[in-house]
Amino acid sequence: MSDLVNVTIDGVAVAVPKGTTIIEAAKQAGVLVPHYCYHPSLPSPAVCRMCLVDVEKAPKLLPACVTTVAEGNVINVNNEKSKKARESVLEFLLINHPLDCPICDQAGECELQDYVFQEGRANTRYGDYAKRFNPVEDFGPDVLYVANRCILCTRCVRFMESVADEPVLNVSERGDRAFIGIDPDHLLTHPWSGNVVDLCPVGSLISKDFLHKARAWDLDKTASICPGCTQGCNTMIDTRDDIVVRLRPRANLEVNRHFICDTGRADYRWMNRGDRIEAPLVREGGKLIPTDWDHALARLAELTRGARSIVILASGRASTESLGFVRRLADHGTVTAAVKVPLGTEAPLAGVPNLALRKERAPNLDGARLAGYAATWAGALAAAPGADLVLVLDADIDDAEAATLARARSAVVIGTVDDDRIHCANLLLPTTNMAEENGTYVNRDGRVQRYYQAKAAPGMARPAWWIAAEAGHLATGASAPKTAAAAFATLSSSMPGLGGLTYADLGHTGRVVSPATTGAAR
Amino acid sequence: MAIGVKVMKRPDRETSYVRAALKGMALTFKHMFQPKVTMQYPEERSTADDRGSYSVAPRWRGTHRMLADEQGRSKCVACGLCPQICPANCIKLVPGEDEEGNRYPLIYEIDEFRCVFCGYCQEVCPEEAIHVGVHFENAEYSRDRFVYDLERLTSQTHSVSTLWDPADPRGQ
Repeated sequence: MSDLVNVTIDGVAVAVPKGTTIIEAAKQAGVLVPHYCYHPSLPSPAVCRMCLVDVEKAPKLLPACVTTVAEGNVINVNNEKSKKARESVLEFLLINHPLDCPICDQAGECELQDYVFQEGRANTRYGDYAKRFNPVEDFGPDVLYVANRCILCTRCVRFMESVADEPVLNVSERGDRAFIGIDPDHLLTHPWSGNVVDLCPVGSLISKDFLHKARAWDLDKTASICPGCTQGCNTMIDTRDDIVVRLRPRANLEVNRHFICDTGRADYRWMNRGDRIEAPLVREGGKLIPTDWDHALARLAELTRGARSIVILASGRASTESLGFVRRLADHGTVTAAVKVPLGTEAPLAGVPNLALRKERAPNLDGARLAGYAATWAGALAAAPGADLVLVLDADIDDAEAATLARARSAVVIGTVDDDRIHCANLLLPTTNMAEENGTYVNRDGRVQRYYQAKAAPGMARPAWWIAAEAGHLATGASAPKTAAAAFATLSSSMPGLGGLTYADLGHTGRVVSPATTGAAR
Repeated sequence: MAIGVKVMKRPDRETSYVRAALKGMALTFKHMFQPKVTMQYPEERSTADDRGSYSVAPRWRGTHRMLADEQGRSKCVACGLCPQICPANCIKLVPGEDEEGNRYPLIYEIDEFRCVFCGYCQEVCPEEAIHVGVHFENAEYSRDRFVYDLERLTSQTHSVSTLWDPADPRGQ
C-alpha cells in the first residue's frame, strides 16, 4: 500500500491517498479546518489564510487547502499556534466587516459569524477607525453584491471563471479597497450563476428572491431531488411554517457536485400553490360531489376492474412508486401509458462533466420507462377517446388535451391542482405534490434517488401510490403497502429494472440501477 | 369510663377582655393622629417626583413599547431574534424592505395575552428597539385590542424597563 500516506491530525492517525490535501485528510480524521477560500468543487488559491495549520518540523504554518500530506506528518489544527493565527486572520477580516448581522440574510449560516463566535477575539482593537464603505451593487437577475460584507475569498470569481467558464467577475482595486468587480457590460446571467450565492461564505452575495424572506434558524431543511429536469440534482428544500421559501443544492459528487442551475433554484412556487383539490370528488348526477376516501377508492376500483383498455397520462414529476402502482392498476387490460415531458433548452455547466440543465424537463423519465410507460404522449392522447378508462396522474392538461379527455368514456384524475380543465372527469382524487411525499426519482443515468417530505399535504390529499395501491387492493385483493418504503420495496422486487433495492440501500446519494437504459432512447 | 376534667381557676385579671379591648382601641386612636400613607388610586396617581414611595419599580416588566429613531420610525430592523427567543410565541414578525433598501418590519404584532412578560425580547434586541414597559394599566373593552401592532407599540409613551439595576448589574 505505497500509495497511502500515514499522518496524525490532532492526535488522530489516518491513512489517506498520496496527494490528498491536509484539509481533506483532516476531514477524514474528523477535524474541521476552518476555511473560507477553499471549496471542494473549486480550485484553491490559498488567499484567505484561514486554514493555516501547524505541521510539526515545518518552519511556518502551512495552508491546509493546498499543502499535500507527506508520510509521517504530525498536524495540529487546534493547538495554540494555529488558533492564534486564525484569531488574527479573523481580527483582520472584521476590521472592515460591518456589524449588521441583524439585517443580514446570511446570519445563522454565516461562516464568518460561526468562526468568530468559536475562536475570534472578544473585542475589537480597531474601534477608532471608520470602516470602508461601498454601495450595494446589482450583479444580475437574482444576485445582489453587498461589498461591505465581502471577505474576498474569491470563491465567486473562481466559480465564474473555472466552473461556469464565463469570467465576468474579478477582484478590483487593491489592499483594503479591494472588492469584487463585475464586467461593466455583463451581469450574472449565466444559467448556473446563482451558485455564487451558496458559495459565498458570508452575506456578501445574496439572492434577491430570498432577500428578507426568512431567517436561517427559522428554516426546516429537507433533503430532496430537483424536479426540474432529468439530471436529478440533489437539493435541499428549505421551508418556513410549511411554506417552501428556497431550494438549495445538496452535495452529491456523482451527480451535481455542489451546484444547481438557476431554473431549478427558482422553480419552487408551484409547491406552495393554494388552489388544490382537497377532497375526493365523485361525479354523481352530472355534478362533482365531495366524498370520503372509502367511497372514492371503491369507485376507482370499480372503474378500473370494468375497463379492458386503459390509457395512463402521467406527469413526469410523479414518483417511481406512484408511476409503478398506477401502472399496476391497469395490469389486467391493454395499457397505453405515457408521461408528459415538457421540453426546454439544454444549459450545461462547463466545469463539471455530465452536468447540465437538460432538455427533458421531467425528473422521472427513466423511472417511468422502468415502470412501463412506453407510449409517446401524442400516441397515448390519440388512444384516449377509444379507451374504456383514461387515468390522469397529475399531468398538466392544456385546452386541446382537455377536449380529448372530455371525449373519453370515463376519466379518473389523480391530481394536485384544481383546474377547470379536469372537471370533466368522473372521479377527481387529491394527491400530494413532490414536496409533500416521500418517493424516488430515477435520473437520466439510471440513478435512483430518494426525496423526502418537506411540508404537510393539504386536506385529504394522499400520495398517488397509496391511492392506486388501495384501489388495487379493493379490485384484486393484492396487499397494499402502507409506507413509501414498503411501496418501493414491493415495486423493486417485481420490477427487474430496480434490482431489488430498498430505501435503506439508496442512502442520501442514490444508487445506479440501470445504466443500460441511459441514452438508448435518446 | 368517665373522663376526669380538671377546671383551672384563673384570676379575673388574666381572663377579662376589657384590658385587651382598651389596648387595641388605644392603637386605633393613635393612628388617627399620624400622617396618612394610603394613596387614593385611581383619583391620585404617582408622579415622577414621588418615585420611590408610590411608583412602580423601574425594573417592572409590563406591556411593550417600541422605541423610535429621530424620524419617528421604529428602530426595529426585523432581525427575527425576538420571535425566536419568545417562550410564549407571542410575537408575529414579517420582514420587508423600504424604498431606501432598509430592512424593516412589515408586520410586527405582540399578543399581550400570550405574553408572559419575561423581558427576553428586550434583552435579545440588538437594536434596542423593543422594550417591556413600566406600565400596568391595560384595561380594554375588547379582547382583540390586546394584540398590539407596530403603530401602537411605537406610540406608547410610558417609560421602559431597565431590566437590571445599572448600579448593581448582578443583582447583589
